[in-house]
Amino acid sequence: MASVDVALATISFKRKIAYKTTWLFSILFGGWSLLAGLAVWSHLIGDGELGGYDWPAMKAYLIIGFLTSTLAWAGADWEMANRILDGLIAVDLTKPIDFQRARAAEYIGGMTASVPAAILGTVAAVLIFQPAAPASPLAAALTVLSLLFIFPLAFGVNYLATMACFVTQRYLGIQWARDCFLAFFSGMMVPLALMPGWLQGIAWGLPFVHFTTTPASIYLGRVDALGALGLIAAEAAWALGLWFGTRLVWNRLVKKVTVHGG
Amino acid sequence: MADTLTPDRLTARHVGAVYRRALLAQIRAITEYPGDFWVMASAGVMWNVLQFAFLTVLFAAVPEVAGWRYHEMLMLSGLLTVAAGSTAILCDGIWSTGQMVLKGEIDYRMTRPAPVVVQVATTHIGMQGFGEVGFGLVMVAYGWIGAGLGPASLPLVLLGIVCAVVIECALITLFCAVNFWIKGPMSNFAFVMLDLQHHAMTMPLGLFPIGVKVVTMFVVPVAFVNFVPVAALSGHLAPWWVIGMPVAAAASVLAALGVYRLGLRSYDSSGH
Repeated sequence: MASVDVALATISFKRKIAYKTTWLFSILFGGWSLLAGLAVWSHLIGDGELGGYDWPAMKAYLIIGFLTSTLAWAGADWEMANRILDGLIAVDLTKPIDFQRARAAEYIGGMTASVPAAILGTVAAVLIFQPAAPASPLAAALTVLSLLFIFPLAFGVNYLATMACFVTQRYLGIQWARDCFLAFFSGMMVPLALMPGWLQGIAWGLPFVHFTTTPASIYLGRVDALGALGLIAAEAAWALGLWFGTRLVWNRLVKKVTVHGG
Repeated sequence: MADTLTPDRLTARHVGAVYRRALLAQIRAITEYPGDFWVMASAGVMWNVLQFAFLTVLFAAVPEVAGWRYHEMLMLSGLLTVAAGSTAILCDGIWSTGQMVLKGEIDYRMTRPAPVVVQVATTHIGMQGFGEVGFGLVMVAYGWIGAGLGPASLPLVLLGIVCAVVIECALITLFCAVNFWIKGPMSNFAFVMLDLQHHAMTMPLGLFPIGVKVVTMFVVPVAFVNFVPVAALSGHLAPWWVIGMPVAAAASVLAALGVYRLGLRSYDSSGH
């Protein structure tokens, strides 16, 4: 069965890099959002600090956000959504392959295609903007570990979003809503430290926070080693929760599937 | 190829009628799926609510951003949302250009007596647009009142909204047309433009280097969607800048139609 997963991931990987120019431009242009963020926060922070972030720390925060968002958006969510919207899911339902597991393999394959460019972009950003260094070698290692959880978390969030296509006719609006939720509650738009307590509480209760705030907090030493391990455990719990939670959602929504002409 | 199959003699009245009928057909389809409508409209509202929350959180920490105050920034975000939401209602199908080029689905539309761009644009309605436009207008109105702008500025607000919608629709069309040459299922260029607008154009242009100002005002005139009208209204720019709004709108429409037409000329269907 694992060979099927690898095959699906490979196909998705190849599909992503088949349109080389599109792929390259999407990665290159992702950097503009980082530049916009740097311009805004440079002005706001100046020589002082905001929410406990001085300018070097904020640069590190924004670069981590760039890396995680580049990875998180590079999966095959449109392919998943289109299978439901176009009715191809009818074919999938006849296959002796678990739908969720197959889509997970494809999604991770798509994300993997963006890894070299995301790393290259991050290294370039680090060299150019000189962000704060990690708080310690242990913090750096734990940051990498927390970043690895972006893969299952991104799949879980995106898979859940595509489930909405069972009750809608279009994915674009769902995608914008998902992007906005993620940008806001992950702390990419504005760090959680600037939010009022009740809003921070909501953000920490959602999985989105682990896309930026968690790796950045570990990297910058805003949590100690034990706290970092706790956050990574929370990431693992969310990855599992989303995996099994979306199964329940699938079981209910698949009954609503409408295949044109059938 | 398209020029031979799409007669140049098509009148504006005919094109308008085709557009209206196609859009009405989509609206009729929407009424068949009320659940879909409410899910998508709520998704659109959610974007605005979070943008509202972002500005509120930001301005709880800082009194102003590059000389701009809370209510002015609300207008900036609100106007962009109205424009972007309107594209979802008026020409959401244009996002399918890349898919149609890949699958050869433009062929069918070339054989019909209506402009291809109109046919493609009206293949969908993004129902999130209703939520975005509705709440975006609330943000504009709240910002307008909060900024203390009087009723005398209402005509300028209305002109700004109309020009913003036209420019946004035209630029989205233009960037989706890139898929005629750079093939791919996704309209990445249009996505990037919208993404950049949401990241950069919801902030005062004074924060960015001069190159960004030049590009957003004179190359890809996204600044005329929200920044210029709000800056002119709130006194951050001289009033004569409002002349640039209809000019940018006309230039954007001409550029979009020209690029789409060029794209159709280079279109060679699928499998060739």
